[in-house]
Amino acid sequence: MANIGEKLDIIYGDATLGVRGHGFHYIFSYLTGGLESMVIQGKEWLYRTPRPTFWRASTDNDRGNGFCTSSGIWLSADMFMNCIRYEVWTDGKMEKRITAPGNNHFTGKEKARVVKAIFVYETITVPAAAVEVSYQIEETGKITVRVHYCGQNGLPELPVFGMRFVMPTKAVGYRYKGLSGETYPDRMDGAKQGVYYIRGLPVTQYLVPQDCGVHMETEWVEIYRNKTQDNSMKNTTVSGVRFSALGHKFAFSCLPFTAEELENATHQEELPLPRRTVVSILGAVRGLGGIDSWGYEPEPVYHIDAAKDINYSFQITAAE
Amino acid sequence: MEADIRWIDNPEVFRVNQLPAHSDHEFYHTTEELLHGKSSLVQSLDGQWQFHYSINASVRPVSFYKKDFNAADFDWITVPGHIELAGYDKNHYINTMYPWEGHEFRRPAFSMEAGNTGEGSFSSASWNPVGSYLCRFDLKEGMRGMRINIRFEGVEQAMYVWLNGAFIGYAEDSFTPSEFDLSPYIEETGNILAVEVHKRSTAAFLEDQDFFRFFGIFRSVSLYARPGIHLEDMWAKPFYRVEEGVGELELELKLSCIKQGGTVRAVLQDEEGHICMEQEETIKEKMKLVSDGLGKVTPWEYGFPYLYTLLLELRDADGNIQEIVPYKIGFRTIEICGRVIFLNGRRLILNGVNRHEWSARRGRAVTEEEMDWDIRCMQRNHINAVRTCHYPNQIPWYAKCDKAGIYIMSETNLESHGSWQKMGAVEPSWNVPGSIPQWREAVLDRARTHFETFKNHVSIIFWSLGNESYVGENIKLMQDFFRQSDPTRLIHYEGVFHNRVYGDAISDVESQMYAPPGRIREYLEHNPSKPFILCEYMHNMGNSLGGLKSYMELLDQYEMYQGGFIWDFIDQALWTEDEVTGEAVLRYGGDFDDRPSDYEFSANGIVFADRTEKPAMQEVRYYYGKYR
Repeated sequence: MANIGEKLDIIYGDATLGVRGHGFHYIFSYLTGGLESMVIQGKEWLYRTPRPTFWRASTDNDRGNGFCTSSGIWLSADMFMNCIRYEVWTDGKMEKRITAPGNNHFTGKEKARVVKAIFVYETITVPAAAVEVSYQIEETGKITVRVHYCGQNGLPELPVFGMRFVMPTKAVGYRYKGLSGETYPDRMDGAKQGVYYIRGLPVTQYLVPQDCGVHMETEWVEIYRNKTQDNSMKNTTVSGVRFSALGHKFAFSCLPFTAEELENATHQEELPLPRRTVVSILGAVRGLGGIDSWGYEPEPVYHIDAAKDINYSFQITAAE
Repeated sequence: MEADIRWIDNPEVFRVNQLPAHSDHEFYHTTEELLHGKSSLVQSLDGQWQFHYSINASVRPVSFYKKDFNAADFDWITVPGHIELAGYDKNHYINTMYPWEGHEFRRPAFSMEAGNTGEGSFSSASWNPVGSYLCRFDLKEGMRGMRINIRFEGVEQAMYVWLNGAFIGYAEDSFTPSEFDLSPYIEETGNILAVEVHKRSTAAFLEDQDFFRFFGIFRSVSLYARPGIHLEDMWAKPFYRVEEGVGELELELKLSCIKQGGTVRAVLQDEEGHICMEQEETIKEKMKLVSDGLGKVTPWEYGFPYLYTLLLELRDADGNIQEIVPYKIGFRTIEICGRVIFLNGRRLILNGVNRHEWSARRGRAVTEEEMDWDIRCMQRNHINAVRTCHYPNQIPWYAKCDKAGIYIMSETNLESHGSWQKMGAVEPSWNVPGSIPQWREAVLDRARTHFETFKNHVSIIFWSLGNESYVGENIKLMQDFFRQSDPTRLIHYEGVFHNRVYGDAISDVESQMYAPPGRIREYLEHNPSKPFILCEYMHNMGNSLGGLKSYMELLDQYEMYQGGFIWDFIDQALWTEDEVTGEAVLRYGGDFDDRPSDYEFSANGIVFADRTEKPAMQEVRYYYGKYR
């Protein structure tokens, strides 16, 4: 996909920012607050604008030790949030007048080597916490995502923190380089390093649906889809998108359901028909615990303190 | 003697006419039968029986056992199986609370005031279902003319038995065999066996295990014939002297003979077929054979479960073989030296798991195939010990563990959790068995039957007095029974943790449940008097088992920390047809309109109810392998 030397086309829409290059086309929306469209080699990879995620479907231990009541505020924070600010930068320079009518000064011929779009979100928690997400796009189409959760005193511990990408159709599978099996910060010593392909989007069959399928210490994960929702598109060849860790490895899960969908079901058969792909790229994961299921929390080192900043980064490219 | 319905109200009546418990040995009539593994002396009665369900004792068909009873309106039911899973009564899961919580007000007889005899508390209850079973059978030809006993391997929870209209006996203790002598009443053909099973009796106070609450004949039923000479009981006591590596074998035998005379020949062979011992003696009703020094023996242990075959040939005075008894035995020691448990002279590490008998289709009526799967699963994941929570298991399980080299903490069928822990707090204002004299013999009988049945299994290294039954004189007496009967094994009981009055008197080990690593450390650093084990830890409900590492590291840090048993092996859930889609789905407590319930608390396995491994098993396999 690389076409080195060819600058990015920038489309300054009234409410969006289009960024186009050879084999990719991204649209950031000031209305939905983030990356609304990510088309790679003609295939749309986003169902809705990705947002920070603050919730995992309660595990039996989370329920038993009261974590979901003490930290339940993060469930609503996960479902509802405001984008309070956005910025666009091209080649290291902040663009001023980017929405209508200020964008009338553009010509449609704008180009840049690097485009960066920044979105800042504010949680509905009391007090509120801020998350800044920046997407930096290079000529190759590579997106570097930097996520910064700004620690806030007075908030309960987080179950998880990351970015949630919902894709329009169900993936055929995913491949990742990291640890075997389902791993969590306090349950990963038995895992082996390797590259693993997972067919379909299996949901671990816990009797009561709950958080599952987390893979710690991941270098990269590629998601493969063949179906699209584009009515004009007959081509159903499999193609993929890759999330690669930048700096520290990340944790991820790739499931057909959101945390809220899992949270709502009391049995596996109550889950909706799997029709989308929910990829959570996680910068922090709370441990599971296991001393008992009616009181003890995970060991303190596996808690996520909401008063502390969380920073992590990853890149999005076409699958190799 | 006639049956009396009030026995189900009376804790002092728990076995009537039952034969004494004995070792679980198999017996064959000929050498050829032994070679084919099929005894002509046994007749299975498993299969389709006639059945009638009644909501309580007052509406049961009282005279159904009589020969002229017309059972035309009876249904058919599969034996063995739970009555609930056959669709007659509601499936109900509840953890610690008694299963009548919110339905009946009950206090155990003699628990609050001496005058409370409990009469009518079960027999007159409006909801206490009764299953009336009829089995018609002909005695198979090879067994005719012999003395005939019947063996029920497990009936929950109280049972009356009649044959051909005559009262045979009464039994409680759902999880150990109950046997009766049918000889006075049995016919060659056209026998009518009648079994009346009551869902709840005073035994319910002692069987408050955390599981689905079922009733019925849920384990196999068989007849067996005793030829002219029959081995009633055997205790093969292998002794192993670690330092010299030599073994001794002492055999205590009880025999019943129709005629005087005859011999017993005992042969011990190793796995290569070498004869290590051969003795022949004249038969007596009670006899003791002692090996004259076996020399070097190969010990049995996890990873190297070496077994010897003991063969007993019983011949009559004319020299004809009447019975052949094979038994696999092993040599090992289990002892506490310097406050540390040693097995064969090495520090014992328990990488264990608690196992309920469970099948998502058949409840606790598990099949041999399921047992074999469980054994293989334990082996491939380096699980070296199993606690038979919280009752004796089906007989084949023990021999499978002998063969696989899996250590057993064999637990007596006793749990009275709801009597002393209420709303999560220790609240023993009324509790059983406590120190109440009227409950003493019932629990001692459970200990005795448990011990006598399984005493020959090398895999058993602990006798466990029961689970979560608080403490009192009666528990102490159970311990005394095991101590006197079997000085070769260790005794386990966790309940003293909740009342330290008996702390020194009961249990060879300090056993706790779900203690966090810090609390274990605290115990071990303050002049501990006993080695420490966790009879339950790492509660693997749903997506759990985080933090196993912190427990495993204690093994490196404290010699007296000797591991534990993960809670537990398999999720308890039932395959049910979805009422919307018709598909087979797994359902748990509360899914059957059963209230009150503890819902998904029934599912804490390291394998799912359909016997696939949970992701957490990866961690178990790693750490149990690392510390094997």
